[in-house]
Amino acid sequence: MAVEVRIPTVFRKYTDGRSTVELESGTIGDLVTQLEGRYPGMREQLLTPEGQLHRFVNVYVNDEDARYLDKLDTKVSDGDTVSLLPSVAGG
Amino acid sequence: MRELRLPEAVAEDMVAHCLEGRPNEACGIIASSDGEVVKVFRMTNADASPVRYSLDTREQFAAYEKLDQERWDLAGVFHSHTRTDAFPSPTDVREAREDVPYIIVSLAQDPATIRAFRIVKENWTDAEGDIQEIPVVVEG
Ligand SMILES: [Zn+2]
Repeated sequence: MAVEVRIPTVFRKYTDGRSTVELESGTIGDLVTQLEGRYPGMREQLLTPEGQLHRFVNVYVNDEDARYLDKLDTKVSDGDTVSLLPSVAGG
Repeated sequence: MRELRLPEAVAEDMVAHCLEGRPNEACGIIASSDGEVVKVFRMTNADASPVRYSLDTREQFAAYEKLDQERWDLAGVFHSHTRTDAFPSPTDVREAREDVPYIIVSLAQDPATIRAFRIVKENWTDAEGDIQEIPVVVEG
């Protein structure tokens, strides 16, 4: 068992077109590090230079927005699904 | 995409949601099946503002899950301009992330007008983008 990460279309050019990636459990921050190791460039897509989650990406653990959990410190266990979505906003 | 065809009921549903949302902007997404727009997902504007919108992130997740389950495609995202034309604002261009039509419902005049645009960016995080209009055809 591992953690399944679902990749939206906007990121797939970094993941060789893959829509899901299997990673080891840990915090969301750990998953970002693993993603970067496997697909260089992903970290910059997800985090600001200060190391916070970009406001234009939503990260969900199962069906909950990680912003309502512990953000990058949110623990993700084997069997959990992490989904990334681009935020939809404007004015 | 040459044009965006909207069944009349879909157009009416979007406009109704936008009218109900006044004085704030309203927003949502539309889904298609085999190229036909089949469903409007009305969403909460998490910004609750007359000049800004963002989809409530939990509602967005639930809607995208439904798309997956039904094997529907994301056909576009929509929001209202309560007092300005149906044309992307600088904020709309800056914040555009999805590579789908951004539909704008203008309530500045009665009846409402609906136009759609693609915001084309080299990298999805870019602040700048090219605005390309997609003609909207409402099918009665
Ligand atoms: Zn706008």
